[in-house]
Amino acid sequence: MSNKPASKPDGWGQRLPELPDGGAGAPLQKDLLNGVSRRHFMQATGFAFIGTMMLGCTAVSEEEALPYLEQPEGVIAGRSDLYATTCGGCSAGCGMLARSRDGRPVKLEGNPDHPLSHGGLCAVGQASLLGLYDSHRLRAPVMDGKASDWASVDVALGDRLRQLRSASGRVAWLGAPITSPNKRARVEEFLATFDNGRLVEASANSQMPIAEAHGLTHGVATVPRYHFDRAQVIVSVDADFLGTWISPVEFTAAWSSRRRGDALENGFSEHVQFESRMSVTGTKADLRLRIAPGERAAVLNQLVRHLSQHAHRSLRQIQDRPLTSVDDAQIAAIAARLWEHRDQALVVCGADDLAAQTLCNAANELLGAYGKCLDLAQPAHHAGSSETELSLLLDEIAAGRIDALFVDGLNPVLDLPAGAALAQRLDAMQLVVSFSPYEDETSAHADFICPDHHYLESWSDNDNITGLMSYTQPIVAPMGATRQLEESLSMWTTGAVVPVRDQVLASSGGDVRRFDKLLHDGFEMRDVRQNAGNFRPDGVHAASDPDASGLQLVLYSKVAIPSSAHAFNPWLHELPDPVTKSVWDNYASLSPATAERLSLQDGDVVRVALGQDAAVEVPVLIQPGQHDSAVAVALGYGSVLSRRFEGVGPGWIERKPTVGSDGLVGASATAVLAFEGGRRKFAGRSVTVEATGARRELARTQDYHSLDVPPHLAPEGGERRPNVQETTVAALMDPHFGEHAIEHHDGGNMWPVDHPYEGHHWGMVIDLTLCTGCSACVTSCQVENNVPVVGKDEVRRNREMHWLRIDRYFVDRDPATAGGDRSNGTGNGDVDVSHQPMMCHHCDNAPCETVCPVLATVHSDEGLNQQVYNRCVGTRYCMNNCPYKVRRFNWFEYAHEDEHENLAMNPDVTIRSRGIMEKCSFCAQRIQEAKIVARQQRRPVADGDIRMACQQSCAAQAISFGDMNDPESAVARARDSRRHFQVLAEIGVQPSVGYTSLVRNRPTDHEGPQHG
Amino acid sequence: MASEHVLQQRPLIEGNKTPGQVTADICRLLDGKPSGTWWAAFLASASLLGLGAVAIGYQIMTGIGVWGLNNTVGWAFDITNFVFWIGIGHAGTLISAVLFLFRQRWRTSVNRAAEAMTIFAVMCAGIFPLIHMGRPWFAYWMFPYINARGPLWINFRSPLVWDFFAIATYFTISLTFWYIGMVPDLATIRDRLKPGLRKNIMSFLALGWNGSYRTWLRYETVYMLLAGLATPLVISVHTIVSWDFATSVIPGWHTTIFPPYFVAGAVFSGMAMVLTLMLIARKTMHLEDYITKQHLGAMTKLMLFTGSLVGLAYGTEFFTAAYSGNKYEQFTFLNRAMGPFAWAYWTMVSCNVITPQLFWFKRVRENFLIVFILTIFVNIGMWFERFVIIVTSLHRDYLPASWADYSPSLVEIATLLGSFGLFLTLFLLFVRFVPVIAMGEVKGVLGIGRGSGHGS
Amino acid sequence: MDRENRRYLLGVFMAEEDILGATRTAREMGYKIVDVYAPYAVHGLEHAMGLGRTRLPLITLMLGLLGAGLKVWFEYWSTAIDWPVNVGGKPWDSLPAFFPVTFEVMVLFAGVGTVVAFVIGQRLLPGRKTKLPVEGVTDDRFALVLEETDAGFDKVAAEEMFARFNVVEVIERVKQEPLQ
Repeated sequence: MSNKPASKPDGWGQRLPELPDGGAGAPLQKDLLNGVSRRHFMQATGFAFIGTMMLGCTAVSEEEALPYLEQPEGVIAGRSDLYATTCGGCSAGCGMLARSRDGRPVKLEGNPDHPLSHGGLCAVGQASLLGLYDSHRLRAPVMDGKASDWASVDVALGDRLRQLRSASGRVAWLGAPITSPNKRARVEEFLATFDNGRLVEASANSQMPIAEAHGLTHGVATVPRYHFDRAQVIVSVDADFLGTWISPVEFTAAWSSRRRGDALENGFSEHVQFESRMSVTGTKADLRLRIAPGERAAVLNQLVRHLSQHAHRSLRQIQDRPLTSVDDAQIAAIAARLWEHRDQALVVCGADDLAAQTLCNAANELLGAYGKCLDLAQPAHHAGSSETELSLLLDEIAAGRIDALFVDGLNPVLDLPAGAALAQRLDAMQLVVSFSPYEDETSAHADFICPDHHYLESWSDNDNITGLMSYTQPIVAPMGATRQLEESLSMWTTGAVVPVRDQVLASSGGDVRRFDKLLHDGFEMRDVRQNAGNFRPDGVHAASDPDASGLQLVLYSKVAIPSSAHAFNPWLHELPDPVTKSVWDNYASLSPATAERLSLQDGDVVRVALGQDAAVEVPVLIQPGQHDSAVAVALGYGSVLSRRFEGVGPGWIERKPTVGSDGLVGASATAVLAFEGGRRKFAGRSVTVEATGARRELARTQDYHSLDVPPHLAPEGGERRPNVQETTVAALMDPHFGEHAIEHHDGGNMWPVDHPYEGHHWGMVIDLTLCTGCSACVTSCQVENNVPVVGKDEVRRNREMHWLRIDRYFVDRDPATAGGDRSNGTGNGDVDVSHQPMMCHHCDNAPCETVCPVLATVHSDEGLNQQVYNRCVGTRYCMNNCPYKVRRFNWFEYAHEDEHENLAMNPDVTIRSRGIMEKCSFCAQRIQEAKIVARQQRRPVADGDIRMACQQSCAAQAISFGDMNDPESAVARARDSRRHFQVLAEIGVQPSVGYTSLVRNRPTDHEGPQHG
Repeated sequence: MASEHVLQQRPLIEGNKTPGQVTADICRLLDGKPSGTWWAAFLASASLLGLGAVAIGYQIMTGIGVWGLNNTVGWAFDITNFVFWIGIGHAGTLISAVLFLFRQRWRTSVNRAAEAMTIFAVMCAGIFPLIHMGRPWFAYWMFPYINARGPLWINFRSPLVWDFFAIATYFTISLTFWYIGMVPDLATIRDRLKPGLRKNIMSFLALGWNGSYRTWLRYETVYMLLAGLATPLVISVHTIVSWDFATSVIPGWHTTIFPPYFVAGAVFSGMAMVLTLMLIARKTMHLEDYITKQHLGAMTKLMLFTGSLVGLAYGTEFFTAAYSGNKYEQFTFLNRAMGPFAWAYWTMVSCNVITPQLFWFKRVRENFLIVFILTIFVNIGMWFERFVIIVTSLHRDYLPASWADYSPSLVEIATLLGSFGLFLTLFLLFVRFVPVIAMGEVKGVLGIGRGSGHGS
Repeated sequence: MDRENRRYLLGVFMAEEDILGATRTAREMGYKIVDVYAPYAVHGLEHAMGLGRTRLPLITLMLGLLGAGLKVWFEYWSTAIDWPVNVGGKPWDSLPAFFPVTFEVMVLFAGVGTVVAFVIGQRLLPGRKTKLPVEGVTDDRFALVLEETDAGFDKVAAEEMFARFNVVEVIERVKQEPLQ
């Protein structure tokens, strides 16, 4: 990034990343001694894994903070250690391993043992590393708008609190759902010191009604735990459970365990998706039915109606007639499938209205899914409060009946409706305290900003799922003079800071030895069960007749930017959306037909208006597969945190800025979010869409979106490109499958083979059935390989630098109009979607190598296509001659000026300079590391020792990598799969990357691509 | 030889010149102050050159990113201009070498200028492989010099290395050829100058030539040998340039027809450029007697021939694509003719296929103005040919997801103009300081068609 | 050898056919033709003077073969022996791929070599001073130079012969500078 750190850190980091040990070692100790008390510090290092840091720091005193001149025991400069902790990227709480290199975390990876994530880690989790090193983070508390220190803050705030207590002021805590028992205890203790303190936990997204609905239907207001791995038939109504809904990594892992095309005997689930916009989950559904945003409850009503007939249980709330345009016979068939597999059936709903949620519960109840595919006895703890509580609090604030407000983990002014009004009330309030690490829309109005640690600097326990306690431990000492929220509260409650490690230790049971084990593992299972409640038919709300007239708004969260809290993160802004492939912006998605009707093109700025005054102006994005009545706009954009990106990307005469005219990335869609009957209505409000006449070019990493070439250019028989091959479960059942269907190319040589691969021969196979396009691998690759961020304009010019991209194809399911780029608006609107991760194929007959004049790209004797940066003169001939177009050229000198962000760089990977070519290296540094370890242990490299960054992060475990010469290796077995094929093998380049075909669980005779 | 028999009918050089008059006519151009027209032209081209220099400077300071290229289209204007200029550079050698071997005596009036053009064009062409590199300051790595990096050589399998050697050789040989051909004329100038700086310079360059017939005899042999070497060379150079594309795996590039196709195209464009310039020179420098309808006729016929070859090649490409059954290849050509760059394709076809066919008509062939205009069209068409081959093949290749569009940046356009600036500037200097017409050779053909002398 | 008593007879002509005729006749009459000067290569004059063929083509051939040989060796040595590296799975010695550069280098050696041989052989060196036998032989006049070999040299007959070919000027020179 080209933006300078706001407050320049005390001279450290400059030497990075060239001198990791010196550059990081020294400041680490220095800051340890600044940041936290030595006592705290000694405790912090009281166990084996942090021993590293203790020795590192007790060895040298602050004055002589130098690189490791005398090597502390246990620390080997250049070797990385893994620490188990819990991801703080969202409330899902995936277990992860932080890779610490010379005392600083440089990579976050999933913890393979963790019962939720099973080793996966989403893009947001991967990118959360940058939050730690963000130079725009507050490095000290702020009092009345001026930087201050904790002592004075505690004094000043102490007085204000005393006044409040004596005057029995009305205190409210407005924060994100709390998933840490320790934190909850601290917060409750603190609020208890007031006569009327109250706690409202709210999330910026639409998941709060789930718990509320269960309160109504089962008497337990909680979010159940969903077991997609147990479901044979999954019906999702607008729940994007593979992308953004509740706990996507957990769900993806579970879902994928029942989608394995080479292990059909384990069952291959059927997945039906009802949705109005095209979600990641929708792209993977076997049957996808488009419904209007307002029809969700009505569709569930139809479903429950059929189910109740099967179950011979009638619910009076169910209306005995189809309320929707959706073909009732089709829903009946779906209900039948559900009923047939009722022990393994699951219905999920992402809707924001109680009717839909309660009907969904009814459906699961009728199927007897409770206790099987979803569990209230060991529920998830993302529940938070109810929408009603939230709206009540906001009303009281508006009415001036709240004297003090504590804001944590939420940015109400930006994330909640009527933010501007709220901001005014905050100024009027007696006391506003924010724990935000940034000066954002809300904390700007706070009297005190008491910045919390980044979670990688924090201690915490998280029971995101009852019966599973995950622990968070600091990987590095605080970067600045921040203080963890729990400590601040203990100070304000008891008058003394209780070190948060002690708090967590205590809440874990207080046994230090056991505590060390817990921290080592990162989690523990406990046999805790709650009352699962019983179904109360009266709790079910009836669906009202949907009004499907006109255009209806859908406010959703993007995979890359789940909430405004991530708006500071350039890695996430530049992550192509899995469905739209758009970056650095939010937009109004319209179906091709609707766009045509309103004669709108991609990039036309429209005014999406809710009534008269509430409106948001965003560019149009034409989205195939979306319902014609839906207008989908992403939340979480237009945050002041994105102001910093004004200067992002290379500067040159034809440069266009990444931020909009208002200096922000995207526009905040909360302008059109409003309460309706005491609850935020995210979807279904009817809106007007009119062109403003302005244009705002969208930056997309993919310009052409179909496997079908434009019809007028299609040669006979060449209408569809064969690079994605599809099949169906039914077809796979045929034992002769694949013998003739998928052509296998031997890629024969026309010259003598001088290069047999006797030792290792690295290869990769990617399962297109499992790949959901979630793009965690893309960010993982970016973090691992120091891939620069180039900004919106460069992406718009097709110059993104990602080494790994995911090609996403739409194919029209309507045979009448099949062919051509679906974004042109023809066809009945139903599309099949396929995701194809694409990176360097490390061809054994690599076309790029032959053409390089200076031998800057050559082949290793283990089959790696190596790029020699120092030798490259940048003719770009290799890039032209690459049939996969996976090579990336350094068009400019990309900035690495931010000393803090540079700390996130992987010391094992060179920073590439201007004018040279780069590309996927098969994580050569990881291969090397694994070999060294194996050599030290005097054993050969075993299968699974080496995990590519992309492979590691994949929640669905779609990627296998290994030695193709080892017949037992996972990759070798994948290559033997009947579904295995190689892209463009016919041109004889002999790629080392292969794919296994995309399996859909459908009758074979459906129209659409059939290569299987 | 038939054409020669025809040429016997009419004198090659009109106006019954004697050798003395030839010397006078040609040298007159070198004496005295340059005309206003010359100054105007010189300033115009010099400023174009300046513009190009600024553009290139900015690009080298900032990065290749200042061009309109992207991850899919890695080459566009840069290599288009390169191939275009190399093509232009072929006419000179062709006229001086190939026609020499074929005893086409009419070449004598134009070969000096054509050879000069070759050299300047190759200079223009040479710039682009250099500046298209991401790190041009390491361009010397292309040469297998003894280095301190251990046994680090270059990749002799890479067409770019072939290019490097081909162009280096071609430039050296052309330059030598041009200079050797000029020595007798330099001597002539030397001997008619009064003592002074210019005389000294000329005596230095004239290598002490004194017209001895023994020298003339060996001179003729050397000339013959160089011609013999330059002929396969000129063919090899554009063949190798075409291999930059033909040896790749990209549909639209990967085709065996390229070498002959490119060579024909090169001669075609070269001839066009020679005519464009010579027709201007003829008018402004009053060389009507030396550049006559016969030259026009011969050269336009050559263009008609090569132009038709190019047209044939265009057709053959489509046939090959259709006949190969290769879906990618077929798509590429449909995409060329009907895709986003169809406008460029049809510009190319109309300029290169239709234009030369007009040369079937004698009235067209012998009308200086029309020929001049047509050659301009051919120049444009041949530039677009290279653009079409490079960009339309790259922008939509195998995987639809990586398809991308391309449009040039201002810097790219400025660089193209700059290369024309360099070319014209050099040419203008040439007509000022060097005899535009090979006196020594013209004098040898004065007799032709006058009954008196025996042509050969 | 001493040149003191050397005498030369020099005839200047204006037309191609005259110099051809004069030279031919002079040779038939057995005069020793020292040299002929011409503003351009008059074809047929070599026969008239009875000059033999030059060895330049042989030199060209040799140099060409040398260049090609060296290049093939170097390409093979550097690619397959000194530093064998796997490039696109191609064989170590990709001889077909070596052909283009080999050819170019062959032409380079042959071409440049020939010219060098020529300028050295003819002592045509940059800046070399020279004196014309008579003004204008680089412009429009031809000169035939005969050596008066002995006392028996019939100068009159020679001048008459010159006159038959419309000589414009006849000059006799003693202690002529060495002409070649």
